[in-house]
Amino acid sequence: MADLQDDIPRTTEVGEDDGLPDDPFRLPPGDLPAGEVPAEDVSAGDLLERARALLAGHPVADGYSGLPWALRHLPGYDLQLGEAAVDTDLPRMRAGHVGALFWSLHLPEGPAGERPVAATLEQLDLVRSVVETHPEGLRLVRTAGQVIDARNRGRIAVLLGPAHGAALDGSLAVLRVLHALGLRVLTLAGTAWAGESGLTRFGEEVVREMNRLGVLADVTGAGPATVQRALALSKTPVLCTRSAARALRPHPANLSDDLLAALGGAKGLCMVPLTAEQTGPAVPDVADHLDHVRDVAGPECVGLSGTYDSGAVHPRELADASRYPHLIAELLRRGWSETELSLLTWGNVQRVLRSADFTARAAQHRREAPTLRISDLDAP
Amino acid sequence: MGALEEARELLREFPVVDGHNDLPWALREQVRYDLDALDIAGDRRDRLHTDLPRLRAGGVGAQYWSVYVPAEQPDPVAATLEQIDCVRRMLERYPADLAPARTAADLETARAEGRIASLMGAEGGHSIANSLGTLRALHALGVRYMTLTHNSNVDWADSATDEPRAGGLTAFGREVVGEMNRLGMLVDLSHVAATTMRDALDASAAPVIFSHSSARAVCDHPRNIPDDVLERLPANGGVAMVTFVPKFVLQAAVDWTAAADENLRAHGLHHLDTSPEAMRLHRAFEERHPRPVATVSVVADHLDHMREVAGIDHLGIGGDYDGTAFTPDGLDDVSGYPNLVAELLDRGWSRTDLAKLTWRNAVRVLGAAEDVARGLQATRGPSLATIGELDGTPGES
Repeated sequence: MADLQDDIPRTTEVGEDDGLPDDPFRLPPGDLPAGEVPAEDVSAGDLLERARALLAGHPVADGYSGLPWALRHLPGYDLQLGEAAVDTDLPRMRAGHVGALFWSLHLPEGPAGERPVAATLEQLDLVRSVVETHPEGLRLVRTAGQVIDARNRGRIAVLLGPAHGAALDGSLAVLRVLHALGLRVLTLAGTAWAGESGLTRFGEEVVREMNRLGVLADVTGAGPATVQRALALSKTPVLCTRSAARALRPHPANLSDDLLAALGGAKGLCMVPLTAEQTGPAVPDVADHLDHVRDVAGPECVGLSGTYDSGAVHPRELADASRYPHLIAELLRRGWSETELSLLTWGNVQRVLRSADFTARAAQHRREAPTLRISDLDAP
Repeated sequence: MGALEEARELLREFPVVDGHNDLPWALREQVRYDLDALDIAGDRRDRLHTDLPRLRAGGVGAQYWSVYVPAEQPDPVAATLEQIDCVRRMLERYPADLAPARTAADLETARAEGRIASLMGAEGGHSIANSLGTLRALHALGVRYMTLTHNSNVDWADSATDEPRAGGLTAFGREVVGEMNRLGMLVDLSHVAATTMRDALDASAAPVIFSHSSARAVCDHPRNIPDDVLERLPANGGVAMVTFVPKFVLQAAVDWTAAADENLRAHGLHHLDTSPEAMRLHRAFEERHPRPVATVSVVADHLDHMREVAGIDHLGIGGDYDGTAFTPDGLDDVSGYPNLVAELLDRGWSRTDLAKLTWRNAVRVLGAAEDVARGLQATRGPSLATIGELDGTPGES
């Protein structure tokens, strides 16, 4: 950290995002029920201004960016000044008030490739090199504390993950080495140990070792049995990095109300993707999903996942990373309280990261690193 | 004071930096990395060449742990990461004896603390699967040398023990060397063909090492270093770390091994087969043809020659313990280094010479690689080259 300590903190907030600040502007309950704010009372411009002010204090911690894969196929790029070939660059992240984001190490060509480990290491290497070449804007971080530290220095925090479960090549040792390189999220889906029938014995060991290390479990795309088992087993909240409400849109990666309620019960986090396919073609569609997830899972269990640069088509008005204020303005119009919004954009991700950090610190004293491979536990 | 006593005293001040030890692979093969099942805190001479008490007795102050995996491994990158995890777990488990080390400064700190500095070396370019991103990830994990090949060729470099194909390094091979220079990862030329050694010396901006190789003029085996290559080390600044493996250092052992291999092939088996059937054939062969035994003096002969050709500033030690079935008498395991130092004292090597051999040269070469890396990083970023771009599709000539 010492390398940048001579920089003057540029954020408007210092350290206040740790907790859940009281909301001085919240209307008394019952006075003006959620969703019934008459649109004509507040102009769109006022809402956008309020959204920006709110985001200045509680920026977006974005659950999924496909940027590493998108950059890999560009001959050259400049994220500092602006890069038209992608949806995410520093000017647009600044305009969108993005404070932290998870950079996916997923391999869009599919995890079944011949060399998932080397391909994942290449993705990881690329992220390190992109962050190193943009030291004024980006900082690679691992822990909740480092996210705050990056923010206090005016940098956008980059977290590594999710990576695909196939990147482990069926080995807990590989998981530990990827964690040593900074991996923070792993997707438990589409592998021999996390299939439709749920987690195998090895799959359960993967979750335990993730808890011990502080790697968050991402169950987007996992079958219901895997989601339920991961929720029961994990000693720290579980993420869905890209899941919306199945009740509103029957996309396979969206969660049923049962699973949303279970996720809420386990204080997990459902990060709603801004993609037309999963949430619908317009801002109100996305807001409907956010309303629904908030209502079913709870306001502490909903987050945002831009899903930019992943090849997905985005709803109108939400084409790139600069557009978050428009979404927040819509939620304000619907009566989301500022506390709820601060949880949605920032607070919930902080809570989940902090819990995983704490669980790992506590578990490392109790449990030795197991050296299992999938062949030790699961019959071929 | 007897020579052995003086050797021990000398090693207390300038301990051995050993270039190559295969303990991680032995732990994988014997106990599936279960460090409880084979605890190196105690005397493990029944099963290993290496444990902590014998490293201490041998005066070892720094060890490059090899994170070797066979090239035939289904996913060599994943297996290499498992080897790295093993070393990391050893470091966590034995903090009073083993100190994590990545730089020359770390080596000096460990020496001052009386701990054994632990570095890692990858043995064979197959561990990076033709991927410079993977090379950089290995460096980020602390790997400080990569042997360009193991026993077989890689797509971009010829091995000493395979049919010539690239004729040394390909264009991508030179790119790998350049990227290792930029990172500060030492280029290790043990196991590679002489053509690859020469190409790498041409390509490398930093000193190279031979992590475990001896002199070809003393014993004619392809794993050893020809004199014309040794002669280039002063200009390059590199270090040749003499190895003890009898079948490389003793001509009679070379010949015996060739005959034993031929015996296996005559029975329809591969010469590296270690199945019970192969081992039975080996034992029967050994009864009829007693195995020649190497000695400390044989290894000292190599060092005397290497010193003549390369000079005292370019020598080191790389025992290859737990990576070889047989060891010389007097150098049976990692506690044997004082016997070698004593032999060299008897041959008139000065204390200054021996400090260079055991400690100073190896520390200098790592520091030099770091200096070169700092310079290169100021002028260029990570290489994004692919083997397809530089060499065409791998496997096609």
